[in-house]
Amino acid sequence: MVGAAVQGLPMTGRQREDAEQPAERAQTGEEELSRRALGGDRRAWDALIARHQRRVVVSLLARGIRVDRAHELAQEAWARLIQQQQRGLLTELRLPNLALTQAAFLAADDARRARREAIAGNVEELLERQHPVDPSVSAERRLLSEEQLARANAALAGCSPSARNVFLLACDGQELPHAEVAARVGLSVQRVRQILCEVRKRLRTALEEESHV
Amino acid sequence: MFDPHLTPSDAEQYILGALDSELERKLEAHTLVCDACARLLQQEALLEEQLREVASATPREATVIRPARWRVGRAAALVVGPAMAAAAAALTLMVSRPGPVVPGTVQESRVVLSLDLPVELPSMVVACPDLTTQESCAQSAAARGLLVQYPLGMGEVPRYEGSAGLPSGALSSQPAPL
Repeated sequence: MVGAAVQGLPMTGRQREDAEQPAERAQTGEEELSRRALGGDRRAWDALIARHQRRVVVSLLARGIRVDRAHELAQEAWARLIQQQQRGLLTELRLPNLALTQAAFLAADDARRARREAIAGNVEELLERQHPVDPSVSAERRLLSEEQLARANAALAGCSPSARNVFLLACDGQELPHAEVAARVGLSVQRVRQILCEVRKRLRTALEEESHV
Repeated sequence: MFDPHLTPSDAEQYILGALDSELERKLEAHTLVCDACARLLQQEALLEEQLREVASATPREATVIRPARWRVGRAAALVVGPAMAAAAAALTLMVSRPGPVVPGTVQESRVVLSLDLPVELPSMVVACPDLTTQESCAQSAAARGLLVQYPLGMGEVPRYEGSAGLPSGALSSQPAPL
């Protein structure tokens, strides 16, 4: 069913890092890519998928979905979006939110189907990693409390301005590749990742503090 | 690597996309057969999601705006100087305009000084030297009615030392002679 619509998808998955040159990514704006993708440009779709694929997969992993299934669901989510575009149902393309929503919907649908199938068999006999996951339960855990958010903001404020800038550039939803973040702040990619790890460590501590209170 | 299990650092590098494709494949394959490592990966992914929530909730304020008084004098001179010169000339003309002079009385000349200047002359110049936030910085400055000095322009590194404009020695610590 989706096969014909996925003709633009062979670039997804493993080859995504090789699919697009960093220089091209830096030059081609997200808005321009979205505009071209809405017009049916397969190369634009490939570029957008390459840029946002990891984000979609990570969001599914956070819901407790196995990594292989996460890749499949992410692939399916992109296929659905392309299908909607080809039918003229997409009037605007706001990524990665649209892909994240689509993937979350598919994950929930997947869990419902798995539960229905489990009624016939005994789900308890399955290994733990094969148990169906209810994404809505994981989604609740994802939401930060106001206190956690305040702690994280305080921890972020304690970082150096350059570290904060790197973190915000990398995590504010633009999905800038680390190479582009590095180019913008004038640091090496290695240093950018080092900074991200340091900021993550601080924020992780801040977020975990509350759970012990 | 991943023998026997993932480390938190491995999972973090995977989430950040810092692993090469071969290691990435190995890590993914390992999490399919190891529940503990799958949970570790999930925790890292969960943290990543939460950090994005933190990032999206963090206000992107224009932190680069600096009050910079440097060049203000020169910039103001470029605008105000000619206008003041023109006003002075007009004042001179109006004052020296020939007219009947009544002896013994003080001439009441109503001099009206009008300058064709903007109503609100920006009194402060700000710098937006950071290229990553220059656009938002400039917009914020424009909203506040400030002049923006771009780093490649004629700006200098802002200096903050105060100056009373008095020549050195003018404020002697010694008592003034009576």
